[in-house]
Amino acid sequence: MNETFASTQPFVMDTAFWVATAIFLIAYAIIVSEKIHKTVVAIFAASLMIVLKILEQHEAFHIEELGVDWNVIFLLISMMIIINLMRPSGIFEYIAIKSAKLGKGEPFRIMAIFAVVVAVLSALLDNVTTVLLITPVTLFIADALEVDPIPYLLSCALASNIGGTATLIGDPPNIMIASKASLTFMDFIYNLAPIVVILMPIYILTIKLIWGNKLKTSEIQKQRIMEMDERGALKDPVMMKKSLFVLALVLTGFIFHGILHLQPATIALFGAGLLLLLSMTHDPHHILAEVEWPTIFFFIGLFIIVGGIAKVGLIKLMSLQMLDLTQGNMFATSMVIIWFSAFASAIVDNIPYVATMNPLVIDMAKQLWPNLSGLQLLHHPDLLPVWWSLALGACLGGNGSAIGASANVIVIGISEKAGNKISFLKFMAYGMPIMIITVAIATVYVWLRYYVLQI
Amino acid sequence: MKAKDLMIPLQEYLTPDHTLKEAADILRIARRGEEKIGVKALPVLDSKGKLIGILSIGDILKAVYPKYMYLMELGSFTWDGMVEALAQKMANRKVSDLMTKMVITVKEDSPIMECIDHMLKHNVKRVPVLNGENRVVGMLYEKDVFYYITEFMTNSKSEAHDNE
Repeated sequence: MNETFASTQPFVMDTAFWVATAIFLIAYAIIVSEKIHKTVVAIFAASLMIVLKILEQHEAFHIEELGVDWNVIFLLISMMIIINLMRPSGIFEYIAIKSAKLGKGEPFRIMAIFAVVVAVLSALLDNVTTVLLITPVTLFIADALEVDPIPYLLSCALASNIGGTATLIGDPPNIMIASKASLTFMDFIYNLAPIVVILMPIYILTIKLIWGNKLKTSEIQKQRIMEMDERGALKDPVMMKKSLFVLALVLTGFIFHGILHLQPATIALFGAGLLLLLSMTHDPHHILAEVEWPTIFFFIGLFIIVGGIAKVGLIKLMSLQMLDLTQGNMFATSMVIIWFSAFASAIVDNIPYVATMNPLVIDMAKQLWPNLSGLQLLHHPDLLPVWWSLALGACLGGNGSAIGASANVIVIGISEKAGNKISFLKFMAYGMPIMIITVAIATVYVWLRYYVLQI
Repeated sequence: MKAKDLMIPLQEYLTPDHTLKEAADILRIARRGEEKIGVKALPVLDSKGKLIGILSIGDILKAVYPKYMYLMELGSFTWDGMVEALAQKMANRKVSDLMTKMVITVKEDSPIMECIDHMLKHNVKRVPVLNGENRVVGMLYEKDVFYYITEFMTNSKSEAHDNE
């Protein structure tokens, strides 16, 4: 089988091939080692791809298959602008304090409620934003209860990666997959939200077994929580209403973007523009400055690096290996992808991993169905479960290690600044088992839904 | 007029191994000039007398202020006893953990305008004054610069006259 593919689609291992492969491998190795900031590595390696003529600048900047996926970039930037405008209204402090009070000051109940709130927020916003907003309050609540904050922090990071799996905008891997595979917001809801709904109660049961009995507090501390007045958080009720209106509009837009024939990035950009207008700001400078530019440039750099190795044929070589391994059996492919993605995401951060896997999956599909193209190819009934396996493996795999997902990096960073260091191994001791449990359940889901019931 | 002309010569200082509690006691009783009113900051010198930081009352406020509170607006939800508990917890931490390590300094011969430049751009109220061997010889306070400036406003004094 391998020979047929290889003979129909030949490629040459010339100098360009080895140069691009070297840039890719060295860049990814340095990103994993964290010796140099990942954004710096990505920008430099991307520029090398162009300077060394692996990619033309035109290809890197303007060709969707080889260069920057502006759909992903504008979706991320627009959502960040919306959140930056929403934040000062106090809505997130309100939600967090209200949640803690719902827990009646009981340490585990608060942990469970926070896990659900984080999961829901992560599904509607993105993970990084969610944990950035919730982690400080988590530390505050743990201080009020005089309990160890680390279980709360770990739980927040893990829940955000599980919750983010549910939607197109929930987790960066999904945003990237949706754009490359032309999948809609509702496709994600229909295919991934059900498994997340199954996973959340199991997750909460798991954290109850781990931490449930270890968290103890007294009446005085519970009283501190109950005496907090969440209404005090709402600093700007008018702006809060405007933000919620725009957020609702954006989410509705996402739900119907397939029918409306508008890309998610367009919907989000419209929301950002509208909220900027409604906020009546005269100084958009600080709102735009607070966009997480290092993350945005990390994406831009990765797209170009992966474009380089796609152009020289490394991606094709890898897809042939994959087909060789699975002998073109799509069930086997899904299974390999979900588990390989989970462990690979734990090791290399799921964003560069998915950036590499997207073209690989598309290339594999081209080998399998050479006569198809466009949506017929991308949405081939046998290929769809592969996309969902990639999304599930990459998103849930983010829990496997401290660097698996951006949310983990943020939580660990804030925690360390606050004087509670979470070591790489400590994170893994909780994250890895939870990753394995969730991926195992997701595997059963993929098998049952797409290969047994075929719905 | 140079920095050395307005500075208060160095009398007390802290060492990195002082606990916060000890440092607070020294800050409370340290002399500033001839008045025994306590000071708002002291330089931290290592065993060789080299300047390695400065500890101000702002640093002591920061010691009881949880870092996560910078990130969200949580001030209105705090409880009675929060500051007190953190103060007790932090009492035995070392000065070296909490001091400001990036210290803005001036030289003995730095012109006053340069000192003002540092004070305004870095938002500090006092700067250690270093001699040619980089030893701290005194502290220049915002207040003394203020007194100096106002002399010229109220008495229309000229520096030339002052130097006579």
